[in-house]
Amino acid sequence: MLAYIIRRLLILPILIVGVTMLIFAMLSLLTPYERASLYVQDIPKRQGAIEGIIEKYGLDDPIPVQYWYWMVGREDEATGEIKGGILRGDLGFSKVGKSSVVEVIGRRLPATAELALWAIVPMVGIGVWLGVLSAAHHNKLIDQVLRVFSIVGWSIPTFVFGLLVLMIFYARLGWFPPERLSDWSMRIVQSDAFTRYTQLNTIDALLNLRFDIFLDALKHLVLPVTTLAYLNWAYMLRVTRSSMLDTLRQDYITTARAKGLAERVVIGKHALSNALIPIVTIGGLILIGLLNGVVITETVFNYPGMGSFLAKAALSLDVVSVLGVTLFSSIVLVGGNLLVDVLYGFIDPRIRLQ
Amino acid sequence: MKVVKRLLTNPTSLAGILLLLAFVIMAVTASWIAPPPENARDPYMIPRDGFSTEPQAPNEKHPFGTTEGQYDIYYGVIWGTRTAFRVGVVITIFTAIIGLSIGSLSAYYGGEIDEVLMRITEVFQAFPFLLAAITLTAVLQTIYGRGEAGPLMFLAKVLALVTFGQSPAEPVDPVQLQLLTGMLAIIFFGWMTYARVIRGNILAVKEFEYALAARTIGAGDLRILFRHLLPNAVFPVLVIASMNIGSYVLTFAALSFLGLGAQRGYADWGQMINFARSWIPSLADHWYIVVYPGLAIVLFVLSWNLVGDVLRDILDPRMRGTRGAV
Repeated sequence: MLAYIIRRLLILPILIVGVTMLIFAMLSLLTPYERASLYVQDIPKRQGAIEGIIEKYGLDDPIPVQYWYWMVGREDEATGEIKGGILRGDLGFSKVGKSSVVEVIGRRLPATAELALWAIVPMVGIGVWLGVLSAAHHNKLIDQVLRVFSIVGWSIPTFVFGLLVLMIFYARLGWFPPERLSDWSMRIVQSDAFTRYTQLNTIDALLNLRFDIFLDALKHLVLPVTTLAYLNWAYMLRVTRSSMLDTLRQDYITTARAKGLAERVVIGKHALSNALIPIVTIGGLILIGLLNGVVITETVFNYPGMGSFLAKAALSLDVVSVLGVTLFSSIVLVGGNLLVDVLYGFIDPRIRLQ
Repeated sequence: MKVVKRLLTNPTSLAGILLLLAFVIMAVTASWIAPPPENARDPYMIPRDGFSTEPQAPNEKHPFGTTEGQYDIYYGVIWGTRTAFRVGVVITIFTAIIGLSIGSLSAYYGGEIDEVLMRITEVFQAFPFLLAAITLTAVLQTIYGRGEAGPLMFLAKVLALVTFGQSPAEPVDPVQLQLLTGMLAIIFFGWMTYARVIRGNILAVKEFEYALAARTIGAGDLRILFRHLLPNAVFPVLVIASMNIGSYVLTFAALSFLGLGAQRGYADWGQMINFARSWIPSLADHWYIVVYPGLAIVLFVLSWNLVGDVLRDILDPRMRGTRGAV
């Protein structure tokens, strides 16, 4: 097991270095002037001042040299202050966010995390449930209906789905509004009377015993969570179904049936627990679905998270912010995939013996 | 031929094929069923009926209504079919070529070349696809926005030649250039699955008895590659890849929806739905901005998925679920 984990860990640095190189390759397509916000926030408009900055931070040095300074940071000779350097956790300055990119990510990440955390349970739960349902009624009506549902589900773009649910449940019925909080609860949340322990509104509201705010936050989450979860239902359904069908063909299932166990027990206990193993492997794909999904979902619902920030920054061609967010998300993804691999090794001994 | 017969007899794929045929007819007859105004410079720019901000509900003059800025939705939906086919087909061709080249190089030479190419593929896969595409689109638009793009202009010209049939000698139209940046970004981050699957298939096929048999009777490398390895390892992948046109159209529509794909007023479904964003509180009245172009995207993608789903079952069950979700 240890050897397996070590082998996976050895690939990690190669991947991360590769990712940073690709990101920097994109950065190096920009002019030195456009790259300046890696190191300075307010780029002066005067002609001479720009050249000064380019000179100071070596923005027209050879690319490998610049890559090195982009990684470790560059010392300001006058003040002795080190600027930039992604290894130091400095991703440069965001024109759109009007502060450092890391600060913007820090400010917006809790909103995205709250959305994603609420989405995971219905996403996996309903997806697996539908898959089991489909496999248990193999080739019967339910199976066919669910098959059509999953193909149609695949074909509806997130933004169309999001706008349609907004049209029905907000514009028509007025049940679930977009954005993250209503104005009145936003005022309370930002006031001193409300302590923001985790920055996740629903949890903070409970900790502050403000159930009205909890309900308000929940009301704002219903539509984006549904939109984000629906994206993956079709996929989860398929994987669970085929995994279940494989398991149901095993001898021990026949044995379980032969000794007279109820079908519910056979499927729910004997089959599902083994069928769930392959489902773990798509943990990485679910993470990709979430990371991609939040960009569109947050934009549709005007939800102030990392995804809507990325879309806004891209639209204003604030490349330094965009690359910062993408770098951050890729690291999250690489880490998540590693976790899935290791987890899989623990669950299924066949994998680590290979 | 057996494959075609099975596709035509299966009700699922038959529905998909018929739907697809309807879209092809729509694209081909666009100039008749939605004639562009006589003085139009570019038929892909949706004609406007005035400049008022308030969208108009469907009426006699505008069967699907108009968006904010009075772009005719019916015209946009019809001509958007052409854009969808263009975008989908061109992206599929380029991603398949790149994936095929890298995958077969990797499998054929093996050793260090294989190692390096596969690590590079993994690095590309380490990015969340949509985020990477958005990022590269923003970078490319910054560069092309300067006018002087140097060697990168070459890429845009190649793509313009294939997509619009435009001669490389002429400068690329800025409206088309914006469309091309989104396509380039999707191509750049979209080839990895093909590379991996093709590499895997060639490696597997190489070990089969018939390849060995061909070698023992003295067949040359090229003959083995073209007669035995390609038809068995590559063509099924390419056929299945062609079904990904739908999912590329979906990704491109997402870029357009964010305002990064097609330009405002261009006949592109995602771009038209973008207009709905400013009318969310009154969407119940302005439903037609979302419903008509949205229906066009859903049916278009659905038709490819219906055919692809059956084709996948027939040709290669391993390729299932390789499409990225957006």
